[in-house]
Amino acid sequence: MSLLDIADLTIGIPRGRATPLVIVENASLRLQPGEMLGLIGESGSGKTMLCRSLIGTLRRRGAAILSGRITLAGTDLAHTDEHAWRDIRGRRVGYVPQSALAGPNPVMTIAAQLREAILQGTPGTDVPARARELLDLVQIRRPERVLDQYPHQLSGGMRQRVMIACAIAGTPELLVADEPTTGLDVTVQAGIMQLLRDIRARLGTAIILVSHDLALVDDVCDRILVMHAGACVESVPANAAPRHPYTIALNRSRIELAEPGAPLLTIAGQPPSVGDWPPGCRFAARCSIAQPDCGLGPHPPLRGEAHANACLHPERAA
Amino acid sequence: MIAPLLSARGVAMRFGRVAAVRDATLSIAPGESIGIVGESGSGKSTLARILAGLQPPSQGEVLFRGQPVYAGSIAYPGPLRRQVQMVFQDPYGSLNPRMTALAAVAEACRFHERCSAAEANIRSLDLLARMGIGPDDARKKPRLLSGGQRQRASVARALSASPALLIADEPTSAIDQSAQAQLLNLFHGLLGQGLSIILISHDLAVIRYLARRVHVMRDGEIVETGDTADVFDHPQHPYTQALIASIPGRRPKENRP
Repeated sequence: MSLLDIADLTIGIPRGRATPLVIVENASLRLQPGEMLGLIGESGSGKTMLCRSLIGTLRRRGAAILSGRITLAGTDLAHTDEHAWRDIRGRRVGYVPQSALAGPNPVMTIAAQLREAILQGTPGTDVPARARELLDLVQIRRPERVLDQYPHQLSGGMRQRVMIACAIAGTPELLVADEPTTGLDVTVQAGIMQLLRDIRARLGTAIILVSHDLALVDDVCDRILVMHAGACVESVPANAAPRHPYTIALNRSRIELAEPGAPLLTIAGQPPSVGDWPPGCRFAARCSIAQPDCGLGPHPPLRGEAHANACLHPERAA
Repeated sequence: MIAPLLSARGVAMRFGRVAAVRDATLSIAPGESIGIVGESGSGKSTLARILAGLQPPSQGEVLFRGQPVYAGSIAYPGPLRRQVQMVFQDPYGSLNPRMTALAAVAEACRFHERCSAAEANIRSLDLLARMGIGPDDARKKPRLLSGGQRQRASVARALSASPALLIADEPTSAIDQSAQAQLLNLFHGLLGQGLSIILISHDLAVIRYLARRVHVMRDGEIVETGDTADVFDHPQHPYTQALIASIPGRRPKENRP
């Protein structure tokens, strides 16, 4: 049985009597226990909103679930009120924010932040012992020193390790990490990725890793879900060649694979903005193999099981 | 040997007790591209600012076409000034939010070329078009442009001075992957037209793609220098080895088992 089952999920911003502004449309995704999924897409593709729906913080951005289902091991997350979210957030779903933007609380020591996370995650625990255990899990070497420090005294990588410690304090079944290494150095990034894999191996946590870096998620995840303009376009196993023209183009524009100086392949144009989506496939205007029927009807859904693709003409894409 | 366009000898920069740059020596020939790579705090941005004439070093010498850059009261005096231009990481921060891309480029054009407003507009539209920004997008303010378009508008503004050397400090860090590819293609075209480029980045993939030679910095020091291909294939310094081992995904998906 899947741990997480998202079906036909549509997220938008309600606008009174006017039709809501749709941000994510008919997203579908299944996650097995302990699976590591990479979620990628350009800025504005809806990946952050999809994550927010999993931790119940859509309302803080004025957004809401308009239709569809989210089920986490039998629990309905699509119709959960704020009171019920408090028992889910931190205990069943952990969240690691973007390092650069939302970080730890700057006026609380690391010990105080961990205490808050531990009491939220597992009330009635021996807090100091658990705090040490958590810092040990995220491979912070001298925990007693770090506990008394404030976030600004730590390096970006250490801070992010502390945020991961807070996120796993309640031993959640699912960990959502939203661009956890943006703005961090490449060696630090490699360390954080190894840590996420270790946590998955030791605690069996399923992980959703959001990134705009295809190379990164391809390296560390089992499967990649690709989003473009609010729609899921492909769900591809990490060891398989991509089949959707957008993923193929992203893969070909990877700089680390190019011959130095050879022209890099680029994707024409910009993704359409929210509120300005054309009918049919939203990649059609940028696609080199688009057919007349690509611009008709609703956005094509993902089809297929292990390797799902939303392209209407996958036989032409190569 | 061709006389270098820009050279730095024994450049050091101290901020109080912190040695941000220590004994850096490098040079760049006309039409050449060099990379400076290192992590946060390695001193690469400070070194870039020193080379660009924005920060007089505590020690050492910077020469541009054989003339000292920091000899007088201002760096790059007179006609030298326009020959070195800089592009920064955050294109949103370096463009005036109240000016259209066209106005921002035209302002620089008028300053450097001392031409009429009408002529500056024509030149700027041409420059922006060469950067892949059409006349419609050129008349938009920065917030209506994508990150990649903003960065290309900043490059257009830098090019309006017809520089001989472009110093780009993390130009691809804040933009999406396909916009990065567009920008790198542009840089590559500019190199073909004889421009020299100093590329500062923590992204080794970008350096490998564009720079012919690379300098690896750590804790203010250049720890390894060489032809980029050599350094990537046979890194000598342990730090360079660690950096290269950390690059995600250098294997294409098709080659996976």
